[in-house]
Amino acid sequence: MPQPTRTRFDTLALHAGQVPDPKTGARAVPIYQTASYVFRDSEHAASLFNMERPGHAYSRLSNPTVSVLEERVAALEEGVGGIATASGQAALHLAVATLMDGGSHIVSSSAVYGGSHNLLQYTLPRFGITTTFVSPRDIDAIRAAIRPQTRMIFGEVLGNPGNDILNLPVVAELAHEHGIPLVIDSTFTTPYLIRPFDHGTDIIMHSATKFLCGHGTVIGGVLVDNGRFNWEQSGKFPTLSEPYEGFHQMSFDEESSTGAFLLRARREGLRDFGACMSPTTAFYVLQGLETLSIRMDRHVSNTRKVIEFLHRQDAVEEISYPELPEHPDYHLAQSLLPKGAGAVFSFTLQGGREAGKAFVESLRIFSHLANVGDAKSLVIHPASTTHYRMSEADLLKAGINPGTIRLSIGLEDPDDLLEDLSRAIHRSRKAAG
Amino acid sequence: MKLTLEQERYFAYTAARRIEPDQDTVVFVHGAAMNHSVWINQSRYFAYHGYNVLAIDLPGHGQSGGNPMDSIERYARWLNDLMSQGHGRRHHVVGHSMGALICLEAAGTRPEQAPPLASLSLVGFSFPMAVSPDLMDAARNRPGEAHAMMTQWSHASPIGGEPNPGFWSAGNQYRLMESSHPGTVFTDLTACNTYHGAPDALENITCPILFVSGIQDRMAPCKLAQRTAETQSGAEITLLPECGHNLMSESPDGVRDALVRFISKHP
Repeated sequence: MPQPTRTRFDTLALHAGQVPDPKTGARAVPIYQTASYVFRDSEHAASLFNMERPGHAYSRLSNPTVSVLEERVAALEEGVGGIATASGQAALHLAVATLMDGGSHIVSSSAVYGGSHNLLQYTLPRFGITTTFVSPRDIDAIRAAIRPQTRMIFGEVLGNPGNDILNLPVVAELAHEHGIPLVIDSTFTTPYLIRPFDHGTDIIMHSATKFLCGHGTVIGGVLVDNGRFNWEQSGKFPTLSEPYEGFHQMSFDEESSTGAFLLRARREGLRDFGACMSPTTAFYVLQGLETLSIRMDRHVSNTRKVIEFLHRQDAVEEISYPELPEHPDYHLAQSLLPKGAGAVFSFTLQGGREAGKAFVESLRIFSHLANVGDAKSLVIHPASTTHYRMSEADLLKAGINPGTIRLSIGLEDPDDLLEDLSRAIHRSRKAAG
Repeated sequence: MKLTLEQERYFAYTAARRIEPDQDTVVFVHGAAMNHSVWINQSRYFAYHGYNVLAIDLPGHGQSGGNPMDSIERYARWLNDLMSQGHGRRHHVVGHSMGALICLEAAGTRPEQAPPLASLSLVGFSFPMAVSPDLMDAARNRPGEAHAMMTQWSHASPIGGEPNPGFWSAGNQYRLMESSHPGTVFTDLTACNTYHGAPDALENITCPILFVSGIQDRMAPCKLAQRTAETQSGAEITLLPECGHNLMSESPDGVRDALVRFISKHP
């Protein structure tokens, strides 16, 4: 597929969006820790606020450090632009709020992050936006769930926590047949393992907290727009194709046929909801991006070693990793994720809840916490933490067993990880009797 | 707004403002396989500073009906027909790349019934605008590759540093071209490659002319614009540093400031 730039991934990860600071020569991206920007005169101020000229007026709308991150992630994803937010959840909310009104409907994969599930299942209905959850593997169910009011199909490349792979090309085609966009959470895969735009996705969201930052230091999110979706032709997105009273009757798709979504998300969503990213957070995410490919390769190679180890253990009943031939999405993984199926997966220990508890509490290198995508290896028991609000039925629907353990494999020496796991499995067997 | 010509409907961006008959109108014309939104950083400014704005989508481009045309002369006739409908007191015409050739040809053949032409600004202009055989071949047979080649050659910097917060200019240009109708890039490049009418057009033009070029423009080298400007008595030229062919995006303030300075000199 032709690329808009000949500059390669690793170079973009280090440089995209930044020219060295012209006044100081600073090589690293400076942290512009400022709320506001001095106007040259009243006319300059007015023209900035009215989108007559590009630039920064107030850091809730844009900030030079954050802009470098937005441009860099857009370059890595090969989109037209990006918009950084206070968290991954803020990114998802911004996408929803930009695309739809009360009365709208979403079709979502049932295997999404617990926080996303909460937003879609419990919170958005209060504002008149409802969601139908369907198995990401059941294309017919996805098709059947689409209604005239449906405004997006949402899913994750790698479902949480069972690593169900959404068949992006097929679901994208389905979405486009109905004049709606496919919005994909690509947090677990990052642009290094897959570029969802190459497979028909229209909008990508990331929790930058995870692998993009990669060090567990900040909370942030990013949306990236493909720029291909024709909002006017669809006729279902008046927020993008009809005059907006809140911004001088601007029709965003007239302003930019490729950037309408991003313009509205910034000019309304960041302006009014205010969930912007701080410049210091952007700096930390940029630091992480510089080593993204190196880290992801190591995350994946360590994961493969851990999977191989766990696969040999009698105490391990099931491993949900799509590179294993017994995984239902093995062939899809080979096709969509040739560089690796990520570094987050779950498995089930014999002995159920007690064994799982003993396992988690016996680990010395793995940290027991609610996060993934850190340089350090992490472990969690989803049924008692991230998914604890879900009913047993919904848990099973999302592929979560009460004894399921989720691991996020870090960058440690893999032999140390295997020793840690070996010890914990031994303790779990004792606990299970 | 929608404009109708010979029963076909064409789109022109006006910044959601009415065309005032007693105001001058700045007419923006985009380049090959693009649309009006390439002027996003310039057109809106004029619309809020005492001018009407018509940033048009050429036939077969963007939201306009019709089909792309394979000669600059045909595009220019279409533009003159559209301008003859009025749309303001006088016209300041601004074109980029292929759009600059169209504006030049249209200015040289402007019909009497059109409002007076107050000024002509040629951005990213060169004459000749020869297209390499490799690019023509790609445009005919592998348009995606042609879009990529043009995107890569249009940017001075391979790493961005976009003045518009959050946008990735290379990705945006590529997607704009990709969204053009099938065959558009080949038809448009054919029009550029076969245009020979610039000297005649320049002889007939009596209004002030501004050239705006990027010093690192590889698609339309600034030396060619300089050479043409030197032959035109009173023509002005603005050269923008660290800027390639996609100069409205790479140097939005530079282009806008040059246009504002020039157009406001000709009230």
